Amino acid sequence: MSVIKVGARCLQCPGPIVELHKASAKASPGDVIEIEATDPGFKKDVVAWCKKTKNELLKLDDFGDHIVAVIRKC
Amino acid sequence: MDAKPVFARPEDGVRRLVVIGGVAAGTKAAAKAKRENPDLEVTVLEKGEHISYAGCGLPYFVGGIIKEGKDLLVRSPQDFNKDYGIVVLTHHEAYKILTEEKVVLARDTESGQEKAFSYDRLIIATGAKPVVPPIPGIDLKNVFTLRKPVDALKMRSALEKAEAEQRKLKALVVGGGLIGLEVAENMALRGASVTVVEMLDQILPGFDLEIAKIVENHMRDKGVNVLTDEKVNSFEGDREGFVIKAYTTKRTLDVDLVLWATGVKPDVTLAKEAGIALGPTGAIEVDENFETNVKGIYAVGDCAQTRNLLTGNPAFYPLGSTANKMGRVAGTRAARQSFLGTAKERSPLYVLGTGVAKIFDMAVARTGLSEQDARKNSFDAETVLVPAHDRAHYYPGHKFIITKLVVDKPTQRLLGAQIVGEGVVDKPIDVIATALTFGGTVGDLAAIDLAYAPPFSMALSSTIVAANVMLNKLSGRMTGISPVDLKRRLDEEKGKPGGSASRPFMVDVRTEAEFLTGTVPGAVNIPLSDIRRLKDVVRGAASELDLPDEARKLLRLPRETELILICRIGQRAYLAALELKRLGFLNCKVLDGGVMSYSFGLE
Repeated sequence: MSVIKVGARCLQCPGPIVELHKASAKASPGDVIEIEATDPGFKKDVVAWCKKTKNELLKLDDFGDHIVAVIRKC
Repeated sequence: MDAKPVFARPEDGVRRLVVIGGVAAGTKAAAKAKRENPDLEVTVLEKGEHISYAGCGLPYFVGGIIKEGKDLLVRSPQDFNKDYGIVVLTHHEAYKILTEEKVVLARDTESGQEKAFSYDRLIIATGAKPVVPPIPGIDLKNVFTLRKPVDALKMRSALEKAEAEQRKLKALVVGGGLIGLEVAENMALRGASVTVVEMLDQILPGFDLEIAKIVENHMRDKGVNVLTDEKVNSFEGDREGFVIKAYTTKRTLDVDLVLWATGVKPDVTLAKEAGIALGPTGAIEVDENFETNVKGIYAVGDCAQTRNLLTGNPAFYPLGSTANKMGRVAGTRAARQSFLGTAKERSPLYVLGTGVAKIFDMAVARTGLSEQDARKNSFDAETVLVPAHDRAHYYPGHKFIITKLVVDKPTQRLLGAQIVGEGVVDKPIDVIATALTFGGTVGDLAAIDLAYAPPFSMALSSTIVAANVMLNKLSGRMTGISPVDLKRRLDEEKGKPGGSASRPFMVDVRTEAEFLTGTVPGAVNIPLSDIRRLKDVVRGAASELDLPDEARKLLRLPRETELILICRIGQRAYLAALELKRLGFLNCKVLDGGVMSYSFGLE
């Protein structure tokens, strides 16, 4: 299992979710992806994306000016 | 030099002004009149305990954001007397106006004493009162309306009591208007479990359905139970007379506290009995100087009728912003025999109904006519729905807002706007209100030189982007379908057998990653990058086999098929429409505002 960090700060939508999707395609099951984004829309997107792709959302923190999501690839 | 003083003319003949009602418009009128004519004897009669209170601040007092009751009181009667030389009599209820004798009869509700007040000029500012139907249980304890500080105080006490007892208060708000929603928010933030029941099919009357739905969804996300198309029929109390149950057309709700907020009506009994004419809205009819049909008697604030700036029709907008403007003008006109001003003034009688409210993390604002209003008034209206950032996308803290514009197609004149989102909405709505006031067209709006720096705006501000999208639509570059129309179409198709020929083919042109975050039910995913490759296949420069299945299916469709193109905000769908038109698909429609504005549920 490895931890993959994805920086998606300052990326306009749909940047962050596309980066996550790409990282997830490369990752192996059990890998953890930690992604940081400033796009406020990312919060809702990541929840919906995890649900649809059946990946596990371990953590979702909104720091006001940026969002950090931690996902386990299933 | 023989300079005559302009003011202080004792021969003017206007010596006494009586103002009935001392909240917003009444006190504003009284203070302005006294400034205009310092010799004027001004008396304000207020039936309540307080004058000059901030009625619009009451929801925030309920929630405790405004901590002290005194913070809501702008001025006290003593201040008025000391600072302005105006006599303010609280607990004085005017009960008759004798227009011939020019006398107001009033009762001191504390002493029971009856008094007569002579006037040369009279200003009526009796306000509005909540609409409360006589349904069973409406008089139970803990069933409130919110109009006066004392109402807010009682509601707050109930919340605080529940807090002290560590009990989750079950609160019901009847009516999904601005006040109802503001109180719902404040009570929820205070820890109450809140239900809002609205009789109509949407909350936020005066807003269009898709905008109201966005707010409704946000309130649900915040834990407020919102029920539309539902009516409260009665309440039931316990043995001590406290409300415990509410019976609606669809269910029974357990409740500890109820706010009845289904709107207000002008309080015009006194005026009506005195023979003062009312308008079709039920409010007092006034001219541009806010004078009624009885000379020397003026009416201002929530009891007076305004006119809609765009239609010219009589209107009733009980708003603090309008009330204060009316008070100022009436105060000037009532203060002396002949008006002395030479500045070019414009009467605030004509209004747009501009308003804004904060609902949890969102703000929602409107000005002018909604799409529904425009159609009701027989305008040939075009609309756009445009999501954009409130400031530069690379600047931390930027948020999305969605702008809806309503335009009169033949003249391209702006008719109205609604803005909703987590970002700044008050600035853009004020920009559009300004444009509307000056009779601006959508082209005017697109060309306004607005302030820009990354922390404040986008280089092309959200308002200008929305105006540009409208220009694209009006010039025929783009055909759109509104979320409300698409939802209606999809609901209609549901009833028909599968494969119905009228069914539109919906294509979500975003990337696969975004498609997986949810789309309009029934849409297939063909990313814009694949749509761009279609023309190579048609030209024979690429093989159809290189295309994903859905794209191949699209290519085989009859060219007259109605295509609905969907993306996040509408921009990529527009690009896709341009590509597809070149391939002969002429019936392409872009979902206005994309999935961001589709508030009817994504899958």
